[in-house]
Amino acid sequence: MTATLFSPNTLLLDKHADYIAAYGSKKDDYEYTLSEYLRMSGIYWGLTVMDLMGQLSRMNREEIIEFIKSCQHDCGGISASTGHDPHLLYTLSAVQILSLYDSINVIDVDKVVDYVKGLQQEDGSFAGDKWGEIDTRFSFCAVATLALLGKLDVINMDKAVGFVLSCMNFDGGFGCRPGSESHAGQIYCCTGFLSITGQLHQVNADLLGWWLCERQLPSGGLNGRPEKLPDVCYSWWVLASLKIIGRIHWIDKAKLRSFILACQDEETGGFADRPGDMVDPFHTLFGVAGLSLLGDEQIKPVNPVFCMPEDVLQRIGLQPDLLN
Amino acid sequence: MPLGWHGRVKIKSTAQQEEEKRKEKEKKLKAFVSARDAVLKKRSAGEHDEEALQLTRQLLSSNPDFATLWNYRREVLLHLETLREKDEVQKLYESELHFIEACLKVNPKSYGCWHHRTWVNTRLPQPDWTRELGLCDRCLSLDERNFHCWDYRRVVVKASGVSVEQELQFTDRLIGSNFSNYSSWHYRSTLLPQLHPQPAPDSFHSHRVCEEQLLKEYELSHNAFFTDPNDQSAWFYYRWLLGREEMISCVYVSREGERVSVAFSKPVHSEGLMLVLDGQPQQVEWRSTHPRLRHSPVWLCDLPPGSISDMSNEHNLTIHWTEKHTHRDCALYTGCAESWCRDSATNLELFRSELSVEKSSVLQAELQSCNQLLELEPQNKWCLLTIILLMRALDPLGHEKETLAHFQTLKEVDPMRSTYYSDLCSKFLIENTILKMEYAEVRVFSLSNKNLTTLCHLDQLLFVTHINLSSNQLLRLPPHFAMLQCLEVLEADDNAIENLEGLYHLPKLEEVSLRNNRILFSKKSKCFIRNCFSGVKSQCLVWPCFKDSVFFIN
Repeated sequence: MTATLFSPNTLLLDKHADYIAAYGSKKDDYEYTLSEYLRMSGIYWGLTVMDLMGQLSRMNREEIIEFIKSCQHDCGGISASTGHDPHLLYTLSAVQILSLYDSINVIDVDKVVDYVKGLQQEDGSFAGDKWGEIDTRFSFCAVATLALLGKLDVINMDKAVGFVLSCMNFDGGFGCRPGSESHAGQIYCCTGFLSITGQLHQVNADLLGWWLCERQLPSGGLNGRPEKLPDVCYSWWVLASLKIIGRIHWIDKAKLRSFILACQDEETGGFADRPGDMVDPFHTLFGVAGLSLLGDEQIKPVNPVFCMPEDVLQRIGLQPDLLN
Repeated sequence: MPLGWHGRVKIKSTAQQEEEKRKEKEKKLKAFVSARDAVLKKRSAGEHDEEALQLTRQLLSSNPDFATLWNYRREVLLHLETLREKDEVQKLYESELHFIEACLKVNPKSYGCWHHRTWVNTRLPQPDWTRELGLCDRCLSLDERNFHCWDYRRVVVKASGVSVEQELQFTDRLIGSNFSNYSSWHYRSTLLPQLHPQPAPDSFHSHRVCEEQLLKEYELSHNAFFTDPNDQSAWFYYRWLLGREEMISCVYVSREGERVSVAFSKPVHSEGLMLVLDGQPQQVEWRSTHPRLRHSPVWLCDLPPGSISDMSNEHNLTIHWTEKHTHRDCALYTGCAESWCRDSATNLELFRSELSVEKSSVLQAELQSCNQLLELEPQNKWCLLTIILLMRALDPLGHEKETLAHFQTLKEVDPMRSTYYSDLCSKFLIENTILKMEYAEVRVFSLSNKNLTTLCHLDQLLFVTHINLSSNQLLRLPPHFAMLQCLEVLEADDNAIENLEGLYHLPKLEEVSLRNNRILFSKKSKCFIRNCFSGVKSQCLVWPCFKDSVFFIN
């Protein structure tokens, strides 16, 4: 899908805020119900993009906090929604939401910490939940959660780092597990992980930066790995990774901005994965966050490691290192 | 993120079509909610029976990302295991594999599906790895880039003991037949070090793969990009083949202060650094050049007073870096106040792979072929960049002019990446200047008017006393600038420098010229500057806002 003459070329922030504010209010919407299995992340995406646009107050804080409380299980882990099972992915999303709302103590923090710690394996990796799926995404979820709670010291850091580094590939990138192919989403998780754990010097920034800047296609958009289509969410995964390793200037910013703006839907508000497609909150957050990283002054500065507003992290006192 | 949220084209439709769609969705939603509620109710009641399997089957077929349902299914299966004989358990899980395969047909990229299959194989009394490998073959023939399938294949290969050779041959087949084969090249890069490892850990070698095999890999990737010069995967792989390893760059010793400085080509931790003086291991405390650097490319230590202060004594120093089984020797001669160790051989190792005669002739042939390809495809950026890398591998100084010309062309044919090419070109110019310095045995580093956009290899400039970076496009003097422990004079006029953080604590710095930059003046920056130069004997600072006047601190 390519941008046409009629693609948007200005940022329609008010429309996006209206879109997110209304999303989920129709609880009988088909797509909404079918995505219940990731509801906690969906709420995090919506709240974060609203906060970045200065519109957080339009969301229902009390309802969301009660919802999160109802999702913490006895083991300490947090699920995507009521009746669903706990998982690291949704534990992180919940902690991020509560950080935005400065209400971390509505849940049992010690139990969350125990839950995360309990998921670390012998080789330093992290399982997503008790069923044992291993993925560097979960290494990121674990350290990001603990960092937000100020409890990084409970895990075996050396082993955790060792595992992530064992996932580094010939092209400087990272995959899900040792031997897995490099992918921008995993690269974001691993560079974010290495930033939080103070190990960014282990990255070959020039090599990885080259691989990442080669994600930019003639349309200006970014793909997630070679020979794939561009997608607005890679404006986040790729761009944030480049920012973390100090190579964001290797992207053609103007062309990327045009691509992201073309992914807006003027009618409904929100962003789609590429111009002309249907919008959703996931792509809306990453489109706006990407624009923030590119320096758009109408949007609050976003932290490239946590994908949260910088002012929230300053309040918490978290300033993970970036390479320059 | 939901897989369903990708690639959904927005289609305009009439009011009637919209109404039909709405009714359809309402129906589907009702069915889904009803099934979901039934399942979750059963689970809450602790029921682990066939009905649970049926209900979850119905839902998971079209909602494989509903992870909690896979969890429930596993609980049911585990419970049923306790009630059945071994051969029934085998059947139970084989049936499960059929179900998962049906789900994979609908959605071959569901994390939940693939993980569940992996789990089932841990419960099967007799897993059939041949069948599993066959599934992978079929799945990859439909989509050679499905990383879920590749990851699952790695699990199967490990569990069933399929040989590395066999898997290498598999990649040969795929690379030969497919256009989009990055996943295969990647797999190859992980298999080679297992099958053809580098004999012994050796600082001279850039790869964990032995040279004989590397040379074969040049041919393989060369054939790929000659068949299709736009097959970027092969070009990425090729670049990896030309890579190099990190090591100790330089050791510098000074009788004054009895200080030893060690520079590395990348930031390291001081653990594992050992200093031996005249055969005696020394107890020293290493410190980095900038307090912010916990992992530093340069480490300093002070020897016990009197160790090397007497000019009439000759000394031999060795720095051991135990992590990489490598070391550097440095001799401090009678009558010499200082010494450093770097020789041209060392430099060439740093900036390119150590070249055997065989490898050198192979690379020469590669360069010729690429030049021929460039004549046919003058706009091919992969070819241009690869030619530059080959020239650097063979003779960086001899090819300097051509390299600069190719970078110019690169920026024209691939303008989106021009800042990358500018930085890379700066890096190569710096490398060349360092190489030239060594041949001339001077301590002056001069790179003015070269369109430099970035600084690097500062670890190589440990003993430099004069630096001229004027008339470039530098934006800052980065923290690593603090490595330049011997620097006395810095000229950096006519750049775009905003940030002077790198000037922190350069012990020998006497003269700084920074006319025509973009340094922002505030009380804070003046204080910072004052603190930078505190402890330095006398300073003469030429400050932009004071034009040609000289500004003294202290």
